[in-house]
Amino acid sequence: MKFGIFYEISVPRPWSREVEKRVFDNGIEQVMLADELGFDQVWSVEHHFLEEYSHCSAPEIFLSFCAAKTKRIRVGHGIVICVPEFNNPIKVAERTATLDILSGGRLEVGTGRSATWTELGGFRVNPDETKKTWDEWVHVIPQMWTNERFEYSGRAFSMPSRAIIPKPFQNPHPPMWVAVTSPGTEIDAAERGLGSLGLTFGGFGDQEKKIANYRRIIKNCNPVGKFVNEKVSTVNFLYCHEDDAQGTKTGRRLTGTFNFLAAQLLSAREAYPTKSYPSLGLLPTLRADAAGPADDMGAPEGIAIGNPARIVREMKKWEAIGVDRVNFLLNSLETVPQAEVLASLRLFAKEVMPHFQDRTEMQTAAAGGR
Amino acid sequence: MPRFGTMNVKPWAEGIVSDIRDYKTESVALPKAQILNLTLEIDDNKSDNLLPPAMHPSIPSYTIINVMHCPESPWGKFSIAEVRIAGRTVVRPRGFVLRSFVDTPDARRELSNRWGFPVAEGEIDLETRHDRIQARVRAGAKTILDCELIDRDFISGADIQYLANMQLARSKIDGKLILVQVDPEFTFSKAERGKPKVNILDAGAWKTGGNLEIHNPISSSYAIADVKMPVVRYIVDPERPAFQGTTKVAA
Repeated sequence: MKFGIFYEISVPRPWSREVEKRVFDNGIEQVMLADELGFDQVWSVEHHFLEEYSHCSAPEIFLSFCAAKTKRIRVGHGIVICVPEFNNPIKVAERTATLDILSGGRLEVGTGRSATWTELGGFRVNPDETKKTWDEWVHVIPQMWTNERFEYSGRAFSMPSRAIIPKPFQNPHPPMWVAVTSPGTEIDAAERGLGSLGLTFGGFGDQEKKIANYRRIIKNCNPVGKFVNEKVSTVNFLYCHEDDAQGTKTGRRLTGTFNFLAAQLLSAREAYPTKSYPSLGLLPTLRADAAGPADDMGAPEGIAIGNPARIVREMKKWEAIGVDRVNFLLNSLETVPQAEVLASLRLFAKEVMPHFQDRTEMQTAAAGGR
Repeated sequence: MPRFGTMNVKPWAEGIVSDIRDYKTESVALPKAQILNLTLEIDDNKSDNLLPPAMHPSIPSYTIINVMHCPESPWGKFSIAEVRIAGRTVVRPRGFVLRSFVDTPDARRELSNRWGFPVAEGEIDLETRHDRIQARVRAGAKTILDCELIDRDFISGADIQYLANMQLARSKIDGKLILVQVDPEFTFSKAERGKPKVNILDAGAWKTGGNLEIHNPISSSYAIADVKMPVVRYIVDPERPAFQGTTKVAA
């Protein structure tokens, strides 16, 4: 199992230039430390208009900066919203290829379609169309990356023959993922040979079924890219502290703040009745999973908060049901002071990560590098 | 932290709110109700004045116009028309009811006594036409609401999600103003979707004070559903954040 971190860039009111910059700067400092400590990936979301919750509308810029400041950590652009009002697929292919080159082949590309009316309405998107355009985008982008010239006539997008350049550094192209929130999206991922970027925080039982279904279907997939990315990633919160009670208390503050903010947004389904969004999407799921059920210390099942022993135990459960990677949210509204976030990362790397490293990785780490 | 509503509750409530008898109503069935629902984005800068401080505005702010005709009820057939401001009580999506116009005295009495609906008298028409569903409300000899669902299209009832109400009422027990959560259950037998259109929304009748400015229509739905009016489970102090001021009054 590998571990990463991910960024929403949550900025508390009252907003000022200084506060906004501090949140970005803190994130960069965390990414640089995570790189040194052996975290495998840093992901950055694409969100628009989500006040306080996420000011991460230009993740490719943030990730370019991260890549420039780090040496090993992979950079996850995700999810890229595959809806024409947000992103032209040509531009997606061009900017991801450029980021892959500049990062030295460290790019992962997540795909999705947005789940809030706050965003969809802001770009005047018809929610009935987003799944269809996502499907079209994930089929054409790998071809844009790998064909010298590309020509296409599709449902939501067409172009005459052109050379889409540059091409990615990774051969044949970066791994592709899809955000799995709505029921059945894990099937969409498996059928297309895409990695499952699970965006729910907890609930082992439900996740285990989804993962088993994903593994079963992907064996007979028709991959949209040049290779099958059979990987299952989930997201989680992280606050690790030597004292279990302190770790749980601060971790609960982090999860509570995140869920409180998420709830203020307007989900697509709440505003617009459509079968395209059969569930309320990411946000209520996060709230439900991270709110409980809790153990004696108040830590919800599967959430990485508390002391190292507790976190090892919870991560082993995720590993047992087939999760390959866990990406952690470290802060929300800066509710955890930066020094504590950095200390939490260090403690996790020291006390938790060794329980999940294979022999080769440990030998490499012991020799001073990866 | 998210924004809070900025309504000045006590003056706003003057002459508007109903007295709720107690919190012990049984649930009540309203079979085969016809429900027209419009959602429209509104001016964020003004609409916070239409939410009590217990609630957070949704992002973006929006209003919900709801017109329901109930052919059967324990109080005979009746219709109700409401304008609500969408918000959140802590993390739960809820619609704050500005006013509820109801067309029969028996229904007005029961809806206010049992659930604290801020009722007023009005004539309500809900008309189904080939290309639209239209609702009109008249009160005081003038039309105070004229709205439509246009471009009708069939969907599944499972696609519809209604928000529960938060309605300001005065408790007969202690005379205090309270927000009453009313969260009916719906079993759909028919559902449609279309575009929302508002022709008339009288600011005086709905007591919006110029704070409800429609900016961006979102969607409209029409449904036939069996409605189960609930027992009252939660009440909230309208002037305190809901995470501090919520009281559970029934399981």
